[in-house]
Amino acid sequence: MAVKKGLFKTSVGRKNLMAITGLFIIFFLVIHLIGNLILIIPNSFFPIEFWGGVENVHDMYNAYSHFLVSFWPVTIVAWVLYAAMIIHVVDALLITIQNRKSRGEKYQVTDNSTSTWYSRNMGVLGTILGVFIVLHMAQFWLKYKVLGTEHDLYELVLATFKVWWFVLIYEIGIIAMCFHLIHGIESAHRSLGIYPKKVMSIIKYIALCFSLVMAILYAIIPIILYLK
Amino acid sequence: MKLTLKIWRQESAKTKGKLVTYKLSDLSSDTSFLEMLDVLNEELASKGEPAVEFDHDCREGICGQCSLVINGKAHGPEEHYTTCQTHLRSFSDGDTITIEPFRANSFPVIRDLKVDRGSMDRIIQAGGYISSFTGMAPEANTIPIHHDIAESAFDSAACIGCGACIATCKNSSAALFVSAKIGHLAKLPQGQIERTERALWMINAHDEEGFGNCSNTGACAMVCPQEVQLLDIARMNFEYNRAKCIS
Repeated sequence: MAVKKGLFKTSVGRKNLMAITGLFIIFFLVIHLIGNLILIIPNSFFPIEFWGGVENVHDMYNAYSHFLVSFWPVTIVAWVLYAAMIIHVVDALLITIQNRKSRGEKYQVTDNSTSTWYSRNMGVLGTILGVFIVLHMAQFWLKYKVLGTEHDLYELVLATFKVWWFVLIYEIGIIAMCFHLIHGIESAHRSLGIYPKKVMSIIKYIALCFSLVMAILYAIIPIILYLK
Repeated sequence: MKLTLKIWRQESAKTKGKLVTYKLSDLSSDTSFLEMLDVLNEELASKGEPAVEFDHDCREGICGQCSLVINGKAHGPEEHYTTCQTHLRSFSDGDTITIEPFRANSFPVIRDLKVDRGSMDRIIQAGGYISSFTGMAPEANTIPIHHDIAESAFDSAACIGCGACIATCKNSSAALFVSAKIGHLAKLPQGQIERTERALWMINAHDEEGFGNCSNTGACAMVCPQEVQLLDIARMNFEYNRAKCIS
């Protein structure tokens, strides 16, 4: 039997693509978090000697932001990230369309006790995240990096998180991210073919702990800035 | 026991179906679910009405012929059971039970609760076999196989091909079924000859038959009568990636 389908055109291949792009986005999330934790460093920690004796969080955060937009390797990684995000979304849409076609008539009675709600609703969680990312990029990335209308990113971030509904939007986005990650990390490893039982048990545990830690650390930033 | 049954009645794949309500009384809690349907069909026959069509064969939980989605769960309320092994003691007196066929686009309804699961046979035909000498079966211990590997292969081989995994999957994916066969043969020395091609052929056949993509929700493994594990799907993905790399 001739099988002419490309690497990413079969049901397994499409899920591989989701896994690879998803894991790359997670790698970015970690870097993004580490950078943004600068925002909540208490004043008592300054001056920080290894950062050139920087005297306050304002200067430190703006220096970090300037480094990100001016250091060319970061720009290359950023373009890979944009590509990964677009591929992740397009692949998810193609998979969803295929899945809808595969389903038969709807059941009159459904029993969802055999799976978690977030594993069944990755598309819904992903859509919430997609809307959140567009808002997030329009508020910061667009104004600071693309249009150049804002030069003091620290002040922009601070002003943004003084608006309560903006904080609320961020918290909703972060909760969606948390559940998307819990299932996504485990599912991605399974899709890539990691099958030893002990390894998958550890990955499942790591996925839960990692997602919760990421969500908590991301969630406290807007709240602390709102209360600052 | 008294039970109210809401049963999916549909003349063929081309006609629309609907739930029809029937009432049964004087049932023993030791009656099996399929025997209950037999009782109903006898009542319908005595009234001159068409019987409710449903799949069944061995009624011992090993052939994979029985199907049915009972109150939204494939094979009924018990975990890792087949419909034929489900008894009325799993329900309460006065319950209303909704019975529907296994639903997936690749499982067209033949009539009522009976669906065509030929798509699964075609996936097996695509690669679920091994090359072997013809003649008498060889002596079982000619090829030494480690006990753990034999046990693991047997766990995958236990799949009875009932299709409950597909009926349960929100995407109508047959990943668990395909992975059980790929995993079973990939673990054993007899399966090595077609190992690479098998993964490609069977996954290709899976997609050609119109089954959906696996979302790893794990619902399939929760209803599997033979407790085929979700790890088999990961093993299948490994086999596919391996085959793509070396073929």
